[in-house]
Amino acid sequence: MRTLALDAYSRLDSPLHRTTPGLKLLAALVTVVGLAAVPTTAWWFFLAVATGLAMGTLISAIPPGFLMRRLLLLEPLVLGVAGLALLQPNGLNAMIVLVVRSTLSLMTMLLLTNTTPFAELLRVLRRVGLPELLVTTLHLMVRYLFVLVQESERMRRARRSRTFVTGRRLAWRSSATLLGQLFVRSSERANRIYAAMCARGWQ
Amino acid sequence: MHIPDGFLDLKTAATSAGLSLPAFWVALKRLQRTLPRRRVPLLGLAAAFVFAAQMLNFPVAGGTSGHLMGGVLVAILLGPSAALLVLTAVLLVQCLLFADGGVLAFGANLLNMAVVDVLGGYTVFVGLRHLLPNRRGLLVATAFSAWAGIVFASMSCAVQLAAAGVAPWGLVFPAMVNIHILIGVGEGLITTLVVLAIAQAQPDLLPSCKRDTTPSPLRHLIAYGLALTVALVVFVAPFASKAPDGLERVAATLGFAHHTVPSLLPAPMSDYQIPGIGSALVATGVTGFLGTVLVFALAHLLALRLLKPPLPQAGGAPRL
Amino acid sequence: MTAAVRLDKLHYRYGREQVALHEISLTIEAGECVGLIGPNGAGKSTLLMHLNGFLPETLPLTPAIFIDGEPLCTATLPKIRRHVGVMFQDPDDQLFCPTVFDDVAFGPTQFGLTGAALQDVVTRALTKVRLSGFEQRSPHHLSLGEKRRVCLAGVLACDPKVLVLDEPTSDLDPRGKRELLDLLHHLPTTRIVASHDLDMVAALCSRVFVLDEGRLIASGNTHEVLANEALMLAHGLEKPHSLRHQHPH
Repeated sequence: MRTLALDAYSRLDSPLHRTTPGLKLLAALVTVVGLAAVPTTAWWFFLAVATGLAMGTLISAIPPGFLMRRLLLLEPLVLGVAGLALLQPNGLNAMIVLVVRSTLSLMTMLLLTNTTPFAELLRVLRRVGLPELLVTTLHLMVRYLFVLVQESERMRRARRSRTFVTGRRLAWRSSATLLGQLFVRSSERANRIYAAMCARGWQ
Repeated sequence: MHIPDGFLDLKTAATSAGLSLPAFWVALKRLQRTLPRRRVPLLGLAAAFVFAAQMLNFPVAGGTSGHLMGGVLVAILLGPSAALLVLTAVLLVQCLLFADGGVLAFGANLLNMAVVDVLGGYTVFVGLRHLLPNRRGLLVATAFSAWAGIVFASMSCAVQLAAAGVAPWGLVFPAMVNIHILIGVGEGLITTLVVLAIAQAQPDLLPSCKRDTTPSPLRHLIAYGLALTVALVVFVAPFASKAPDGLERVAATLGFAHHTVPSLLPAPMSDYQIPGIGSALVATGVTGFLGTVLVFALAHLLALRLLKPPLPQAGGAPRL
Repeated sequence: MTAAVRLDKLHYRYGREQVALHEISLTIEAGECVGLIGPNGAGKSTLLMHLNGFLPETLPLTPAIFIDGEPLCTATLPKIRRHVGVMFQDPDDQLFCPTVFDDVAFGPTQFGLTGAALQDVVTRALTKVRLSGFEQRSPHHLSLGEKRRVCLAGVLACDPKVLVLDEPTSDLDPRGKRELLDLLHHLPTTRIVASHDLDMVAALCSRVFVLDEGRLIASGNTHEVLANEALMLAHGLEKPHSLRHQHPH
């Protein structure tokens, strides 16, 4: 499953991985805000960020090919929105600036998320005052994300093994029924999790 | 609809965050007051569910496929405040774990997909539910409100992109809204099918499907009125706003737009541009209006079809 | 000496219809390891859910459950939840934190432990289940046997007086089963094991209670009860293989 390998590199051991998560998050935010704040003609800034990101990738020991693939996966969206800029006077120039800004921001975030486990980012956010209820929700979400994705894969396989007719309408109905079942199961699981949490003193 | 970083300027990003954070705060406070402890884990599981649901592809045409967004679905299942929090969690994970949707643009994405979609769609849902309280009404309201939520969210997204100067208002608004009038149909269809599946498997999970009374003709009339109002909102919206670029600019670029639009955007959109009306905004208004009425009628047909008794009847209308 | 667990005519029905537990009375001494056996739907899980006050939804005014001599009522609920550790059937439901460390630390954190003391408790619990060094792993990437052991560590970290285990070995491969049994065997805590796996019960428990249709059918020395073929067959069970070879008829 492609998503399962997404944070495969976030626990490597490199100087960048060892840097304090809070510091990395702050640096990433400053970079992204900086990219949005500088005027469109500030090519020196874009170049500096690009150099920084390239160095960061080298230090991080993450295969550059992996980051590139992730970037390319998200790039169509960037190009799609940036394409709108073509429709105004001097559009090509505007579009190039948008794509550069956006790609650099994306690369910054990819470098951050692949050198910092999400649990640690969450710890930082919690320290700066993310509300407790949201933190609990995020914890549970991250924990059960792949459990549910796998559950839905299993259900789909079981269903497919008993389906002999194909067609778009049937596919929609059966996928939707699957989602319905997945929600029912999720809510049952939520009850069991509540029991398990209570059993260990949560109140 | 996830806006990546690099598109919004600081002003637009800050304004969007300034609008979405208070909404989030109100929802959070309401939940802290009213949510029973035993329902807390369900929020996390619902967030994981939305994420898993968004990965399931629904085939559309020619190898393309769409997926559920789930804002209105979660609102119907858990209530608007919980849905807002759940969607916030989903967007935060997509942003910080998968780099999908920007950090600077987070407030904007939150506004579109957690606030406008959920609250807008849910308001429509509640309104329709009051007027159509029976089982069929549940499906009609689900289908229509899920569609409306997506269209509202796309409008809000268009406003942000235009305000940030990505593209002129007169182009970005029709492009976004027209596409999402179509995408929303898929959302409405999936949401309805999922709600129906849950209603059949575990009706306790649907607090809003229990009431079962026959609607009076008057209520039907008001329901149509509400749909018409939504249609008018869609219709009037492009004119009500103070567009950064005037209509003249749009008219001037329209010829140009007609040549480029089909290649840049999925094909069906071009069908929705009615040529010869003079401006893309007017065209959007008209298609929006017609679209709303059409979608409302479709929602009715869908509900009728889904609730058809198991024995197939040749000809005659299915009875409830 | 007070019994670790005492049930006094425990009665429970789901909704208004079917009786799930029918006036069950039993006593379990401290340090004992007892088995709770019976067919599917006998009421084993329902009984276990009562032991830490998760059922009934509203606790009765006259308590039917006594843990370490203390009656289970609203006032004692937090204390009793701390004393009774429960290991649920599906480890995925019990491991609800993103990392193994967070999960084992969950209970102690609720009881107010922080910093070095917390670190220490977690390290010791993980050592007990032989999973040192797993702190930063995500539960999602563990084998089923490892997940079960992390669950056990999470419960042990709360330092319970009574350990309740619901089908601890279901779906485990032989090695995972052996490792878990080995751990459970050497715990000094009072243990209550509900299971279908009668070989496991025979190896682990000194006494068993047979439950069927919400009634306590029989109780006594594990080997004697399990060797009673007529009783076993009448309640959807089977004399375990391990006992067959010891008592050839």
